[in-house]
Amino acid sequence: MSSKPTTCGLGPDLIPAQAGIGLRAGHYQDVLDSKPAIGWLEIHPENYFAAGGRHLALLEQIRSHYPLSMHGVGLSLGSTDPLNHNHLEKLKSLIQRFEPTLVSEHVSWGSVDGRYFNDLLPLPYTEEALDHMVSRVSQVQDFLGRQILVENVSSYLQYQASTIPEWEFVVELVRRSGAGLLLDINNIYVNSQNHDFDPLTYLKAIPGDLVQEIHLAGFTVNTVEDREILIDTHSRPVWEGVWQLYQQAVQQLGAIPALIEWDADLPPLNVLVGEAQRADSIAEQSHALVT
Amino acid sequence: MPSLRELQTEFSRAVFGNELSFGAYVRPDGGLNPEHRVGIYRNNTFANFTDALQLTYPVVQRLVGDEFFSYAAAHYIGQTPSTSGDLQEYGDTFPEFLRTFKPAASLPYLPDVASLEWAYEQVFYAAEPDPLDTLAMSRIPEERYGDLRFTLSPASRLLTSAYPVLRIWQVNQDGFAGDQSVDLDSGGNQLLIIRRHLQVELEPLTEGEYVLLQALSDQLDFTTACEQALAQQPDFNLPASFQRHVAQGTLTNFSL
Repeated sequence: MSSKPTTCGLGPDLIPAQAGIGLRAGHYQDVLDSKPAIGWLEIHPENYFAAGGRHLALLEQIRSHYPLSMHGVGLSLGSTDPLNHNHLEKLKSLIQRFEPTLVSEHVSWGSVDGRYFNDLLPLPYTEEALDHMVSRVSQVQDFLGRQILVENVSSYLQYQASTIPEWEFVVELVRRSGAGLLLDINNIYVNSQNHDFDPLTYLKAIPGDLVQEIHLAGFTVNTVEDREILIDTHSRPVWEGVWQLYQQAVQQLGAIPALIEWDADLPPLNVLVGEAQRADSIAEQSHALVT
Repeated sequence: MPSLRELQTEFSRAVFGNELSFGAYVRPDGGLNPEHRVGIYRNNTFANFTDALQLTYPVVQRLVGDEFFSYAAAHYIGQTPSTSGDLQEYGDTFPEFLRTFKPAASLPYLPDVASLEWAYEQVFYAAEPDPLDTLAMSRIPEERYGDLRFTLSPASRLLTSAYPVLRIWQVNQDGFAGDQSVDLDSGGNQLLIIRRHLQVELEPLTEGEYVLLQALSDQLDFTTACEQALAQQPDFNLPASFQRHVAQGTLTNFSL
């Protein structure tokens, strides 16, 4: 990376092609004290929807040192309920306050008839769902006045109704809505194991020019009725098979900012920093890092 | 083929209503039957909400143990829809739920402890209070003082309980060292839960002080609030208490 990070009034603004980590409350003080050499930080905006308090104050301090990305988990993009404007308003004012470089959400739904699952549920991959998602992403981008990225999710079931492969659905959504793609390598791997397909089939269908961010995380292996199912818990180190897939992704797609996500059973900050360094060294070995 | 809306409605029934018919919409692939695949989502959803309740109500969890907490949470989650994509908003009615949850009836102080924990979280995340404009207040003629109405800090809550909830809360904090016993007959608490300098503090109030702040919080005029406080506690040092709450930011605004 040779370009000097540009800065806005709040802090660094350019997300480099270098790995970042997901910022969680348990690490605020450590990040401020040790200022680890990572490229950028990502938050869940919902964690900062509150009107005030310590977390917002700390985020302001942290923002002055790192570029920021906002990765929403609660917008319920794919729901057939009307878009939640209260949620969107809060997101918009948080974007205005913290000026993130990237804003993302999920190719999923999470509420119906006003009842929220607070989870990322898979959509059926149908023409109807695709039209719906294109329209919803467009509405959100219009409301926020900016492009968003959408992320492929982990799933534990497939619908009878699905007629389109997941990778085609995701690519078509991004193309038609003008969104960017946040490619979650872990979720590709999890789904390939849960639904018995070759993860390279998925990866090879992804055009490099659509991908603006990559996610890496660790899953948990559950055994249900003698069948292993991978659950996307974000509670473990990145799996070896996911690192291999990441290496292939970097070779195919080029240098893209990658992010280490860790939510449950949060380890010390240096474990996440170590995972980010591993992502960087894989990218470097693949001669993919722009110089 | 079901519409997207039908599919989402049926999914919700399967997760929250335990309906098995949803299996018909799921591909029976990969050696795992559709009911088990839907069951993974049911487990994840209930686990997410239980985690959220644990984050808000750690003392309640400690008092009843993990197993009972999860049991109570599962009942609560089943009957209490989340209405926001922000999980932090979930669980506001958990104290009321515990009041009517028969298996918890032997712990009559539990709902008040839960109310304290909810209030704590609300105060933690509340808007920044603006300081009281003391200069403007000093310009109010003395004869009008009795007509003043005050606003309490948005980052404050008042709580009253017939049980010693403050002591219960304190001895169940991480890192509490010392005697953990609580005498339930030691009397109740009137508390001010307030954020000062980004830290949430729990302040025990005298009866007069509690009535004063509650009356001001209810937008009663200063004269009426003082009368109520002194009627409750004749020896209440009202001027000292009032000055303290102005100086320490409990009162953040006034109007005539």
